[in-house]
Amino acid sequence: MNKRLRIAGASVAIAAVLAVLGLVFPNSALGKIVGTINASYVSAALRFTVPIGFAALGGIFAEKSGVTNIGLEGHLIISAFTGVAVADALAGSGSATQTTLWLGFFAAVLASTLFALLFAVVCIEFKADQIIAGLAVWLIALGLAPFASKILWGGINSPSVGTLSNWRIPLLAKIPVIGPILFDANPTVYMLLLAVPLTWFVLNETAFGRWVKASGENPMALDTVGVDVHRVRYASVLISGTLAGIGGAGLSLGQAGLFNGSGATMVDGRGWIGITAYLFGNYNPLGAFGASFLFASLDALQLRLQQVGFSVPRELIGVIPYVTVIIVLVFVGHTRTPDAAGEPYESGEE
Amino acid sequence: MSSWQDRAEQGLSRLVEASAVERVLISLAALVMSIIVGGFVILISGWVATCSDPFLAQQVLISIPGTGGWGVQFPIPGSFCYNPIQVYKYLFVGSFANPQTSTLFPPDFILDKFSLAVTLRQTSMLLFAGLAAAVAFRAGMFNIGTQGQLVLGALGSALSVLWVAPYVPGGLVGSLILIPLGLVVGALVGGAYGAIPGAMKAYADANEVITTIMLNFVATGIAFVLVSEYFKNPASQTVETRPVPGAAVLSPIVFPSQASFSILVLVGALALAVGIYLLLHRTAFGYDLRTSGIQPEAAEYGGVDAKRTMVSSMALSGAIAGIGGTVYVLMILGRWQQGVPSYGFDGITVTILAGNNPLGVPLAALLFGMLKSGSLAIDFALGVPKQLVGVLRGLIILFVAMPEFFRMIGKRVTTPEPSGAVAADGGSRIEGGEDDE
Repeated sequence: MNKRLRIAGASVAIAAVLAVLGLVFPNSALGKIVGTINASYVSAALRFTVPIGFAALGGIFAEKSGVTNIGLEGHLIISAFTGVAVADALAGSGSATQTTLWLGFFAAVLASTLFALLFAVVCIEFKADQIIAGLAVWLIALGLAPFASKILWGGINSPSVGTLSNWRIPLLAKIPVIGPILFDANPTVYMLLLAVPLTWFVLNETAFGRWVKASGENPMALDTVGVDVHRVRYASVLISGTLAGIGGAGLSLGQAGLFNGSGATMVDGRGWIGITAYLFGNYNPLGAFGASFLFASLDALQLRLQQVGFSVPRELIGVIPYVTVIIVLVFVGHTRTPDAAGEPYESGEE
Repeated sequence: MSSWQDRAEQGLSRLVEASAVERVLISLAALVMSIIVGGFVILISGWVATCSDPFLAQQVLISIPGTGGWGVQFPIPGSFCYNPIQVYKYLFVGSFANPQTSTLFPPDFILDKFSLAVTLRQTSMLLFAGLAAAVAFRAGMFNIGTQGQLVLGALGSALSVLWVAPYVPGGLVGSLILIPLGLVVGALVGGAYGAIPGAMKAYADANEVITTIMLNFVATGIAFVLVSEYFKNPASQTVETRPVPGAAVLSPIVFPSQASFSILVLVGALALAVGIYLLLHRTAFGYDLRTSGIQPEAAEYGGVDAKRTMVSSMALSGAIAGIGGTVYVLMILGRWQQGVPSYGFDGITVTILAGNNPLGVPLAALLFGMLKSGSLAIDFALGVPKQLVGVLRGLIILFVAMPEFFRMIGKRVTTPEPSGAVAADGGSRIEGGEDDE
């Protein structure tokens, strides 16, 4: 834990030094890069954090309860697709209004939660291998979304349905610098900023949070005190599906306004980055958010650099989060997974 | 107490015997369940889709037998475009014959060489990918990274062949130099890339599921940047290398040349499957590998160097994936191009369905080869999107992941035998109780 903090501290220090150097020499390459960092850059980075951050929060819930959900990528895909599909269907021949987009949003979260229910039944009731079942969840989504897109729209990409518009909070939005970042943002960004402390609070300060932890660390003890381990795990996995669902809908309806099913779909590994984010954050929602924001800002930075005229290949920047995680896993050491994670629990009475 | 010991041994041997049969049964049951659930997916998607000529619409006639066509009309909501039975027929028949004119049985059965070549081409690729995953899984290493190892192996062999090609003559001599070179480089690159997560697991305790997934993305990114920045074919718009010379191409024999399938590759892949089986079951290395997979602590106690086994099994797994990449470049594509199909993930499906048994992998690979090739037929002839096969792939893994589901069904169907009735007949006990396939 200390090592992790030290690494985080060191990287912040290096970033600060680079920023100061960039400000001192505005005409150097570094200066140009630093020059691109402003309020709109930060708010873009926050928007990019939404799918990764929600996936990470969802992953924490499931894994803390003892069910490793590596199917988060699949949840993002399903909800990103459902959101657009429902909004498009409700809009009919006209264009989608904010109301239809919100209905699509809720349908997306519901779809992801139902998908999580399937995963929960398979893992908890039928004691499936969680890693294999998680892979299956991902692969089903990866096949189903483009398949359904083809049936609905004749191609693997959807038409554009528009995005949920920003919520601008009067007065507060006028505060310099942080106003445009924090108070004129997409609703999904507000949801994330609320969900992070809420998740932390639920996990650390409530009885349910203690059950979740016990269910992952020592399910037998939880059973002994009379709490149904299966129920706690079902609830946690459903919550993970709901959170990931908000992330997926945030990606398609909050940012892109369409669904793109080519390649690894528009989700493009964000669910996997979410997993790495919570590992990096050592199962702490605040840490996971920090890591998600870090990865998302790299993505945003890469877009900025291209606008300024630096041609850094997107793919090269794209590998940084993955390499970071590998380095963290190797040098910071093993992240301690909950003791009972991955193991089905059978109460003695059965 | 000797009776207690006897009972334990009996139980153990029964478990071992049962697990061999049970694995096969579970795989078959998973297939059947996936086909049934897939059928509903087809029905529902056909209900959503619009078409001019639905196979079921407005009402359905259920005829009463013996009345010569009299029956009851049932109204049904909406119209259904796709007939699941027909889709499955096209999916399977379309992989080796023309589904429009053929039935499954003679006399109208006509083999379509081109479809068959496509099926066998996919089968060979899935064989390499499946074997690669199987080796690691047997050692208890969850190698999700075969895709990355395959991508980099493919790139390595393409670049090495392109680099050496100007110095060697064409024709047979060239083939004899270039093809083995490509295979060796592919295996080395794939093996080295596979060894990385193996070493990270062995020496830093980094979870290989996470690292191998991450390394897939890293491999795709690195390969893309290397080709787009340094090795791009200047005459092409897409990110791809120059085509490899004709001498390096694994040329089609027996099958039409545009099918890009060489029967020699399939034979080689099958030989590799047998080789891996022998390696696992007839060598000391294979024994170490299997015991580390089943009982890591016991293996270490028994003198197996667990760390070395982790690294070497992952390296072997990566090397096989790398060879798969070479075959992709030298047989199918003729160059490296971005967007390598997800053979690695299909390979994971294949080995899971095969219960990680190298001898079961060819069967599972053939099944998926047929599905992949048949998917072209359903897309082309019936208008059912070929992505359906992706859904089926996921469903199969999901059902294989939950043997308990089938055990519960099994328990409901059969009445449990009284425990005394199962007598041990001694003779059928399998030596080496760690065989789990």
